[in-house]
Amino acid sequence: MNKNTEVIKGTLAKRYAKERRFRMLGMISVFLGLLFLVVLLLGILFKAAPAFTQHYLSIDMNYDADSLGVGTNPSIKELEGANYRGLIRNTLYAQFPEVTQRNDKRELAALISGSAEYQIRDALLANPALLNNNARVQVLLDDDVDTYLKNNTHSGRVNEQQISWINTLENSGAVERGFNRNLFTNGDSREPESAGLLGATMGSLYALTICLLVSFPIGVMAAIYLEEFAPKNRWVDLIEININNLAAVPSIVFGLLGLAVFLNFFGMPRSAPLVGGLVLALLTLPTIIIASRSAIKSVPPSIREAALGLGASKMQTVFQHVVPLAMPGILTGAIIGSARALGEAAPLLMIGMVAFIVDVPEGFTDASTVLPIQIFLWADSPERAFIAMTSAATIVLLVFLICMNGLAIWLRKRFEKQW
Amino acid sequence: MATENAEEKSNKVDIEQQLGETVGEQFTDEQKFALRNVDVYYGDNHAIQDISMDIAPNEVVAFIGPSGCGKSTFLRVLNRMNDTIDICRVSGDIRLDGEDIYDKKMDPVLLRARVGMVFQKPNPFPKSIYDNVAYGPKLHGLASSRAELDDIVRTSLKRAGLLKEVENRLDEPGTGLSGGQQQRLCIARTIAVSPEVILMDEPASALDPIATAIIEELIDELRENYTIAIVTHSMQQAARISQRTAYFHLGKLVEMGPTEKIFTNPDHTLTENYITGRFG
Amino acid sequence: MESKIDISDHISHRYNDELEDLRNQVMEMGGLVERQLQDGLKALQKSDMPLAEKVASADDEVNAKEIAIDKRCTQILVRRQPAASDLRLVLAIIKTINDLERVGDEAEKLGRYAIHLYEHNAKIGDFTEIKHLGKHVREMLSKTLDAFIRMDVQSAIATIQSDDEINEEFDSIMRQLTSKMMEDPSHIKETLRVLWAARALERIGDHAKNICEYVVYLVKGEDVRHTNLVALLEEHPELNDE
Repeated sequence: MNKNTEVIKGTLAKRYAKERRFRMLGMISVFLGLLFLVVLLLGILFKAAPAFTQHYLSIDMNYDADSLGVGTNPSIKELEGANYRGLIRNTLYAQFPEVTQRNDKRELAALISGSAEYQIRDALLANPALLNNNARVQVLLDDDVDTYLKNNTHSGRVNEQQISWINTLENSGAVERGFNRNLFTNGDSREPESAGLLGATMGSLYALTICLLVSFPIGVMAAIYLEEFAPKNRWVDLIEININNLAAVPSIVFGLLGLAVFLNFFGMPRSAPLVGGLVLALLTLPTIIIASRSAIKSVPPSIREAALGLGASKMQTVFQHVVPLAMPGILTGAIIGSARALGEAAPLLMIGMVAFIVDVPEGFTDASTVLPIQIFLWADSPERAFIAMTSAATIVLLVFLICMNGLAIWLRKRFEKQW
Repeated sequence: MATENAEEKSNKVDIEQQLGETVGEQFTDEQKFALRNVDVYYGDNHAIQDISMDIAPNEVVAFIGPSGCGKSTFLRVLNRMNDTIDICRVSGDIRLDGEDIYDKKMDPVLLRARVGMVFQKPNPFPKSIYDNVAYGPKLHGLASSRAELDDIVRTSLKRAGLLKEVENRLDEPGTGLSGGQQQRLCIARTIAVSPEVILMDEPASALDPIATAIIEELIDELRENYTIAIVTHSMQQAARISQRTAYFHLGKLVEMGPTEKIFTNPDHTLTENYITGRFG
Repeated sequence: MESKIDISDHISHRYNDELEDLRNQVMEMGGLVERQLQDGLKALQKSDMPLAEKVASADDEVNAKEIAIDKRCTQILVRRQPAASDLRLVLAIIKTINDLERVGDEAEKLGRYAIHLYEHNAKIGDFTEIKHLGKHVREMLSKTLDAFIRMDVQSAIATIQSDDEINEEFDSIMRQLTSKMMEDPSHIKETLRVLWAARALERIGDHAKNICEYVVYLVKGEDVRHTNLVALLEEHPELNDE
């Protein structure tokens, strides 16, 4: 053993201690990160849980033609215009014969959701034979009653009398708790119990489709041109710098651009997924270009040389060899980019997608909103039940994003080739 | 530090003074390639300086020289592979069978079909063995039917001495072969286009001695039908396979002549220093 | 003319050392052979029997030296794969030691003839021509070794040319001895021994000439064996000092 060995031995302990400290710090930061994530997710999940279920009231109802105010053999139009509100109220009053005061009657009727009359209307329209017959129907309870039942606390939104009626109904077995279908089948509503995400989800899908249809081909082509064909000069450098800068521009600026160009200049419809998609396309374009360029850059030059050496033209080399090999990276970039677009709310505020829209959009030009904006709208609503709904919508958005990232990983594995 | 630099500089001047006209026999009676006064610039860097030489039909010419001497650059001049580099500029008269290959009328795609290239690192496409070989003929429309294409693929693989080893797995990926097999696949891919000249840029530098020996044997056989120019770092390899050898130094052609002469009695001191492993 | 053979300056220092060592070994072997020749001639002329015995037996040493150098050459060929001047140097050495070994054999013969002549009471000292020839051959061998060590082409070519003189001297000795044998047939056996000794000396001259030819090959890269020297001299007029 020479002198150096001794010296090195002396430093070893210190070095290993440093290494251990560093590893510890790394583990702590990873753990903290995970902890925040778990807290966040669990918080959202706990908050959202009540929104996935809802309380229904089951009552026997007689579709009495007189109460409805229609004839014995009414037309569809007559049925549509019938007095369902009276019918449901009368049925409810029959349950509590002791309620006679006008004020009390109003409070009793307030137990039931305002959407109940449409529910029984739809049931009758679907099956006109029910007229003048008895049927057990399930109607939604009002959101305040629902919240009271879920929490079992007195919040002030329901009074003592209402609570006693609810308890009576509950004891008779008429109140049931069931899965909240409305969340996934309805559009937005002022009533939390009948508000749903379908409108916003469809709006997001439409906007995303437009976004990908526009940004993917343009982005990939731009990347291929810049990477493979563009001459290396100052102009191309300038373009490159600007694309990189564009990726860092605040997204609201793209919204302003969309407002100025698409709405004011081209006169496109306000609040439409078409315009939303175009704005999102502008937003994702730099991401797709940058990701595609790096994917193209990572294709080994030896493949290019091989093709060129065999007499393939530049175009053939690029499209027969480089692009297929870069495809997994390009697709991943596109999906990550569009996932970001999916989560964007700010630019869409500027083009009017923040409007309150009840109808589920049926095309690219129908007015609609998107998931992140729906979350924003609900978070802003005063009704207590919307707190849970907001969290539920967040979860739906997260699931959407996880699915898209999963798709990206799957595509990458599927198309990846060894060379 | 400063004195060291000065020393280095003075050393370089010495070497440049030794570099004069090319010595030896760089011209031949018959010519496949005739190159006169070729200069190549990479931006401001004068990479190839006034090189003239002939390459005779059906001969193997080896280009040797220290790293950065311009031998690979010079090889790439012969099939215009340098075209893909923006800052690269080539001047001089370069003729293949009397045709100026840097003429506007000469299509680089056609040229590269006539002058094939095999690279240092085996670079099969990430496709099947069959598709690798069939790519060139398909690209140029050399086969009119599937049967004809099959025939071209099999003959090319056979000529490259690979057919026996891969006969039963033509649809397996070419990247799954061993290094030596991959390089022979690349040679098969090149000869499937039936070029007239094959350029090889250190084709065996990534291979073990046995695979190298197989490639060298193959080059010897290919000489019957093709003209071959090969860049190699291994002087023994140049000595084994080539008929003539060219020694490059700092972008200049120092000496060119019959291989036996270069390796037993070179005329230029720089050649002598390089091949005997002396300080140059 | 400045020699362009320089065995130093390789990137590998060990290679330099190996080549240097090889050359030194050849020099040693040359010195050994030179002494053998000198001793052989002395034994012959002075009828020095102990010296003659020594010459006759000392050839083993030369042979051992040849084998050792041969082995070293093989090693260098295998390990260094010499090219150009290095290759020529190793090849020239391999051939030179072969010729040196033959010179050693011829010197050994001189020793044996000396013993024979002594046993038959014949004295070589009677033939002054042999003395003269021996002196010439010794000079030639020493010049040859000198040319080899200095890689001096000019001196090598001069030495090659001097072989003709030795051949002429041998011819005249042969003529003299032939007439002597005809005059005095009773001493044919002894006279023949003398003739053989002269022939051994002439052979040594031939081997020296070969070595000089290797020197020319080593330095110039051209094989001048069995060819006319005139062609080489015409090509390189600076080599001719006469």
